[in-house]
Amino acid sequence: MASLITCPHCGRRPREEFSIRGDAVPERPAPAASEEAWHAYVYLRENPRGKIREYWHHVAGCRRWLVVERDNLTHEVFAVTDARDMANGGAA
Amino acid sequence: MSISFIHRHILEDRMSGYEPSPNVNHLTVIRRPVIFSAIAHAGHEVSVAEALSLVENIVARSVSPSDWLVVSQSTDAGTIATSLAAIPGLSFAEQSDGQVLMALSGPDVRTILAKCVAVDLHADVFAEGFSAPMMICRVAGNLARTGADTFEIIVPRSYAGYVFDELREAGREHAVTRGFGE
Ligand SMILES: [Zn+2]
Repeated sequence: MASLITCPHCGRRPREEFSIRGDAVPERPAPAASEEAWHAYVYLRENPRGKIREYWHHVAGCRRWLVVERDNLTHEVFAVTDARDMANGGAA
Repeated sequence: MSISFIHRHILEDRMSGYEPSPNVNHLTVIRRPVIFSAIAHAGHEVSVAEALSLVENIVARSVSPSDWLVVSQSTDAGTIATSLAAIPGLSFAEQSDGQVLMALSGPDVRTILAKCVAVDLHADVFAEGFSAPMMICRVAGNLARTGADTFEIIVPRSYAGYVFDELREAGREHAVTRGFGE
């Protein structure tokens, strides 16, 4: 397999089992935040080279949302965390 | 002989042809299993897992930390629904008509499944009794090891024909036969 991701629930799985759901770095603004803040949250993205943080959905596995920290240059994966644990202030 | 619509299995048409008796490598399609999808409410994951392990005549296939497929080949759906309804913090829905259960067994089962799944099935890491959701022939399904040389596969009904054909193709070099089982 070209790319293997270690799901915290399912173990080492091929990239084909996942759906990449976008940048996990932007933080959702408050409902009453300015239009500029919402525009930035919805449309504006950095395009960094190197270490990135993304939402991955394990669609063909546990169907949980995960946060994957990886390097888009070397393909090294640093951490895979359940998005709920991450939201609750968990690891990584 | 007429066969009523409700008992007509989705793989019925794929069972015709001449296969005098099962070979050592054999694919069994379970004709009428009872399958429920069960999900624990937040905070009830551990107690529900424990309660499911105590229900008689079922096996709970692992899907996620809060999500199972409850399978029975010996008890009717109504009895199982009653048992599940008694478990606090659990929601469930019957999936018997939405999922297809197959069992692949024989000495070459690992070689055959190696063509179908990308997960290590060595007994040291995928032991008897173990189950997990995974891509099976590129279809999201559930695989369980039910014996040293026996695995059970659950896939959605609408993909079952394709997965069945792929398993047959993967098993051709090992002379896999197929048939319905109870
Ligand atoms: Zn997973």
